[in-house]
Amino acid sequence: MINFVQRIQESIKGNYDNNAFCIHNIFYTYYDFAKAVSKIRAAISEVIDDSEKLIGLVTNDDLETYATIIALWLEGKAYVPVNPASPLERNVKIFELTETKYVIDSSETTMYEDHEVILSKKLSDTHINLEAKKISESQLAYILFTSGTTGTPKGVPITFGNIEGLVSAIDKDTEFNLLSSDRCLQMFELTFDFSVVTYLFPLLSGSCIYTIPKDAIKYFYIFKLIKEHKLTVLTMVPSIINYLRPYFDEINAPDVRYCSFGGGALHADIAAEWSRCIPSSSIFNYYGPTEYTVYSGYYPYDKDTNCKSHNGIISIGIPLHDVEYIVVNEENQEVAVGEVGELCLAGCQLTPGYWNNKERNDEAFFLDKKEGKNIRFYKTGDLCYKDEEGDFMYVGRADFQVKIRGYRVELAEIEFHAKTKAKKINMVALDVMNSLGNAELGLAIESDTFDTNEMFDYMKTKMPNYMIPTHVRFIKEFPHSMNGKIDRKELKKLFNITNN
Amino acid sequence: MSKEEILDKVNTAFITVLEHSNFQLTDETTANDVDGWESITHMMIITEIEKLFTIKFKLMDLMNMNNIGDLIKTIQSEI
Repeated sequence: MINFVQRIQESIKGNYDNNAFCIHNIFYTYYDFAKAVSKIRAAISEVIDDSEKLIGLVTNDDLETYATIIALWLEGKAYVPVNPASPLERNVKIFELTETKYVIDSSETTMYEDHEVILSKKLSDTHINLEAKKISESQLAYILFTSGTTGTPKGVPITFGNIEGLVSAIDKDTEFNLLSSDRCLQMFELTFDFSVVTYLFPLLSGSCIYTIPKDAIKYFYIFKLIKEHKLTVLTMVPSIINYLRPYFDEINAPDVRYCSFGGGALHADIAAEWSRCIPSSSIFNYYGPTEYTVYSGYYPYDKDTNCKSHNGIISIGIPLHDVEYIVVNEENQEVAVGEVGELCLAGCQLTPGYWNNKERNDEAFFLDKKEGKNIRFYKTGDLCYKDEEGDFMYVGRADFQVKIRGYRVELAEIEFHAKTKAKKINMVALDVMNSLGNAELGLAIESDTFDTNEMFDYMKTKMPNYMIPTHVRFIKEFPHSMNGKIDRKELKKLFNITNN
Repeated sequence: MSKEEILDKVNTAFITVLEHSNFQLTDETTANDVDGWESITHMMIITEIEKLFTIKFKLMDLMNMNNIGDLIKTIQSEI
């Protein structure tokens, strides 16, 4: 049974006088939000056929964009978000893959001329209507696209039942409990799944959500919000504090109650330093792939009493309520405690499977018999082990997927697009570390130097900004390992970007 | 150090980080005017400038920096 949509409705109605959003320094109350949701909802039911369930959403940083998500959910429809800063061609491809005919866009004019577009900023006010339609667990709530190895982005559909599982798991966890007086950071692009928890949980609690303008320097804007608006709840990727680290001695934010990390490895040394900047806060190191509806578990970090780590990376802790973790070998058999293997997840937050991608689904999901029942597991690609106390420790990736500023990037997708414009030239995309310990993308090219402008211009039409390599090196001959494979470790050394 | 000399060094920092020189920096230039200048590269440029001038910016100054003019004023106050 789906309860969370009705709870959003009740929370909006019960907090009309509270601020719901602070966007570009303008506050909007829950009443303003209710009006925005209602007018968009009225347009949806007037314009869009009931059978159309997947609706495109251009993710601007404004009230209408957030209101559209809730309006679609009240109508039992899913949002398919596209970032206006991503190449139009990629966004159109996403709509093509999902057969999305309708797009809701809060821009002044739309780029999606081949679609039926609702310009949400141009709608007139209607009466407030927040009653949710009847929604079943298997109906889709959103589809997000992540990097795919063959040059085509991979769709991860999430159902209302999946989100219900997430909300219920967090509800059962007494450590995290938002209040209507909380002021919460929402720093994520809405095409990134971490954003779901940073708008959903505050909305369910009547708290205020503070967004980051698209053209702001993120790191400094976050600090500005913490300082000027005394934020109480921070949800971030670890790279934020990596970049702020040189300035930690200027940060003192005693109002912060909760600080959640996710979307990348949290290092023990920096976590300890950061916790001094937020002396009253609990720190949670969350883990969870997009396929498992944002969060599957966390480790409650404390610099003095709870700082378990492996190779300097803080533990990912234990699974949330109703979530099952197993660590398996290459034959999908569970390994012993302390032994490294691939972490696999099962439970009600698990996606029904990649969008129209049987081949990938066959690889990524498997059935395992547990107590006579067939349970479907997802292979995360993350190497982990379980320690004697039952905490899970993160070891590394099993494949060529890397995290760039929290985004999952398949190195093969970058190579695929680069090679389209430079045929017959060997190229390897790599994640290289800068002096602050953040991963950046490098492209090693086995060739004499040539002008890469045309190749990069092409890549920029195919991939979002975070997937475009920022460092290029020409190498006469790639180094190879003993067994004849390109030696990526050696190649990485040639980048040497830490001394720049 | 004259403003021109400062601007010249700032220009060098931009070229080092962005790996291109396809821009003209003036007081009014913002991140929107320069290809590749966004949140991440901004942080790298700041680090590079701190190194070139052997200064350390304050977070309070960085937080209110909106264009090249602001950046140069802050550098002037630090050297």
